[in-house]
Amino acid sequence: MSQDPTVRVERWTLQSRISILAAAIILAILATGPFFFGNNAIDKLTTLFIYVILAVTWNALAGYGGLVSVGQQAFFGLGAYAAVRLADAGLNVYVSLVLAAVIIAAVSLPISSFMLRLRGGEFAIGMWVVAELCHLLVNLDSLVQGETGTSLIALNAYDADTRHALNYWVALGSMTAILVILFVLLRSRIGSAIQAIRDNEEAAASLGVRVMGTKRIIYVFAAFGAALAGALWLSTAITFQPKTYFGVQWTAYMIFMVLVGGLGTFEGAILGALIFFLIETWFGGSGVWYLIGLGATALVFSLFVPRGIWGWLERRFGLGLLPLGYRILGVPSATRMQTPDDGGIGAAPSVGTP
Amino acid sequence: MSSHSNHEACLRPNRRQLMAGIGAGGLMLATQGRAFAAGADNIIKVGFVSPRTGALSGFGQTDGYVLDLARKSLAKGLAIGGKTYEVQIIDVDTQSDPSRASQLAKSLINSDQVDLILAISTPETINPVADAAEAAGVPCLSTVMPWEAWYFGRGAKPGAPSPFKWTYHFGFGVGEFYKMYVSQFGLIETNKKVGVLYPNDADGNAIRANLVPLLEKSGFTIIDPGAYEDGTTDYSSQISLFKKEKVEIFNSFPIPPDFAAFWRQAAQQGLRKQLKIAQLAKTGLFPDGVEALGSLGYNLGNNAYWHKTFPYTSSLTGIGGEALANGYEESSGKQWTQQLGATLSLLDAGFTALKASTDPKSKADIAKAISTLNTVTISGKVDFTSGPVPNVSPGPIVGTQWVKAAPGSKFKLDFVVTDNATDSKVPIAAKLLPLNG
Repeated sequence: MSQDPTVRVERWTLQSRISILAAAIILAILATGPFFFGNNAIDKLTTLFIYVILAVTWNALAGYGGLVSVGQQAFFGLGAYAAVRLADAGLNVYVSLVLAAVIIAAVSLPISSFMLRLRGGEFAIGMWVVAELCHLLVNLDSLVQGETGTSLIALNAYDADTRHALNYWVALGSMTAILVILFVLLRSRIGSAIQAIRDNEEAAASLGVRVMGTKRIIYVFAAFGAALAGALWLSTAITFQPKTYFGVQWTAYMIFMVLVGGLGTFEGAILGALIFFLIETWFGGSGVWYLIGLGATALVFSLFVPRGIWGWLERRFGLGLLPLGYRILGVPSATRMQTPDDGGIGAAPSVGTP
Repeated sequence: MSSHSNHEACLRPNRRQLMAGIGAGGLMLATQGRAFAAGADNIIKVGFVSPRTGALSGFGQTDGYVLDLARKSLAKGLAIGGKTYEVQIIDVDTQSDPSRASQLAKSLINSDQVDLILAISTPETINPVADAAEAAGVPCLSTVMPWEAWYFGRGAKPGAPSPFKWTYHFGFGVGEFYKMYVSQFGLIETNKKVGVLYPNDADGNAIRANLVPLLEKSGFTIIDPGAYEDGTTDYSSQISLFKKEKVEIFNSFPIPPDFAAFWRQAAQQGLRKQLKIAQLAKTGLFPDGVEALGSLGYNLGNNAYWHKTFPYTSSLTGIGGEALANGYEESSGKQWTQQLGATLSLLDAGFTALKASTDPKSKADIAKAISTLNTVTISGKVDFTSGPVPNVSPGPIVGTQWVKAAPGSKFKLDFVVTDNATDSKVPIAAKLLPLNG
C-alpha cells in the first residue's frame, strides 16, 4: 500500500495530539494534589491509581495479549510479600515497594516459561493454581506466621501527612510509568505482534512473529503491574494478611474493570477503573448486594456490550484518543480494511481501525 | 472515522468535555464523602468497627442492641473535666473483609475525624483497623482475638520495645487458654490423651506452636494427625488415628462447617462414644451454630470471654450480666450470646478512658488515658499498667459446656460455666458432664 502515492498512513491525529496533551495536563495537576486535597481525597485517589494499574495491566494481558488469567493475585500478593520482606531487611520502605515489583517481575519470568505453554482456559486455571501455590508458600514464612500475617510498621516512621503524600506520589508515579510503558509497548512492533498472536497464533508465527518471546514480554509486564499494585496497596493498608492479598477477588475486580470499561482498549481500562472506584465508593456499603450487582453488571457487559463502554463509544463516535492504531487515508472505500468484529476477547479494537 | 462529517468532528471535544465533567464531578463527590461532618470541639466522635455481615456475622449480630444501650446512656452527653460533650458513635460493618475494614478505618479517621476507634472480633477485623489507626495517630482500643496475634501478628518482635503508640488491646491470649484447658481437662477422670485437630490457618498454627508444648509439660499426651486445610470434607484418617490411640479428650480450633463435617463422621465412625471431653474453640461460641448440630451438640465443651453470670456491672450503662442477656432475649427473641458482654466491655473501657483523659479532643491525651487504664468492665478487669507487653491487657476466658436446656426453657441449649481458672470471681454453675454420659 505504501507504494501507492494516494495512500498515507497516519498515526498522530489532531484528536490524539489533544488528548495526549490533556492527559499530560491532568497528570501534572494530579501531581500537585497533596498540596490541595485533604487526607481523605488523597487516600481515595491513591486507591484509584492502584485500580488503574490493575485494570491496565490485566487488560494488556487479556485484551491485547488474549491471555485471560484468573491468577494475577499471585503477583499482587507476592509484590506485597516481597515489600514486607525487603522492609524487614532494613531497606527504605518506599524503595522496597518499587524494588519488590521489580523482583516479582523477575520471578514471573521462569513462571512464564511453563505457564505460557498453556492456552485459553488451561492458562486461566493454571494461573489460579500458581496463585494458590504462592499463597501456601508465603504462609510458610515465619515472618508472615501463616494466615496471621504481619504489618509494614516501618511505615510508621513517617508521620501521617508525609506518608499520605508519599503514598500518593509513589502510586501516581507508578501509574504514569505503567501507562507510558504500555503505550510505548503497544506502539512498537511488540504491540502489533501481540495482537496478531491474540487473533491467530499460528498465522502470526507463520508471518515470522516471535510468539513465545512476545507473549513473555506482555506476561512479565502484567506481573510487574500486579506486583506493583500489591506493594502499593500494602503501603496504604499496612496490614499484610496473606488471605487478603492472594484472594481471587483481586482478579474479579480486574475483570470487572476491563469488561465494563472496554476490553482491549487502552482508554477503556482506565475508564473501567474509574467506574469501579465510583461504584465501590457509593455502593460498597450494601454488602452482598454490591457483590451481586458487580457480578451481574460484568455478566451483562460480556453478553451485550462485549467491547465495554469505551469500545462502544469508540465505534459510535469514531473516538480514538490515543495514537495506538494506524489510520489509512486516501484508500477508496471499497478496498478499505475492515475491522474484524467477532466481539469478546478476539475483538481487535485499535490496530487496523479504518 | 472518515465516514463522519467535519461537523460531527467539531462536536466531539464537547462530548469529551461532558464526559470529563461527569467524571470529575463524580470523583469530587466520591472523594469528599462526609468531609463536611468534620468535628466541632464539643462533640466526641467514636468509630465502632465490627463484622455485622459475611462469614463472621455471628460476632456482630448482637452489636446493634448493645450500641443502642450505649447510645441511650450517652444521650445526655458525657461530662469530662467540667465540660459536657455530645457523643456520636459511628458504627460500621466490615462485611468480614479485611480490605474493607482497612478502608472503613481510614474513612472514619479522614472524613469522620473520629477521636477514638473501637474495633472488635477476629484478626480480620481488628488488625487492619489497628494498623490504620496506628499509622494515622488515632487511638484505637480493641478486644476479642488472641492478643498474641494482635501484637506479634502486626510486626512487633518478642523482647523488643513495643512499636505501638496509639493502639491497645485487651482480652484472652494463649496463656489463658492453657490455664483454662488444664483446669477443664482435669474435671473428669481420663487417660490424659488429647486428640487435636488444628487446621493450617492463623489460629491452628498459633495454637499448635504455643499451646501444645504447654499441655505436654502438664502431663497430657497430644495425638496430632497434622494440619489439615480449611474446607476438608473427609476426616476418616484422623478419626481412625484417634480411635487407635484411644484418645479420651478432643480439642479443635476449626471453622464451623469443617467441625460439622468432622463431628458427624466422628459419630458415625464410633469416635464420639469413646470421648469423654470434646473441647472446642472458635466454633460453637454462639447458640445457633451448636443448635444446628442437633443432638450431637449436647455436652460439647467450649470457652467464653464473657458469660451472663460474670459478677460485674457495665461502667457505661450500669447494667449487669443477667439484665444484659435478658434484655437482648426480650428485644430480639433470640438466645443471649457471649458477644453481648464483650461488645459492652469494649464500650465500657473506651468511655472510661475518654472520661479519664484530660482533654478528650486531644488524641494524645486519649492514648495516654488508655495506656494507664485500670478499670473494671462488664467482662472483668482491664488493666494496661501491668500487661505481659505494653499495649496489652490480658483478660479471662472461662471453660463452659453446652448442655440440654431444662424442660420448659425457651431455648434448646443452655451454656454453663464449668471452670473459672482465669477469673475466680466467676461462679461455676455446673460440673462438667462427660460427653457420652
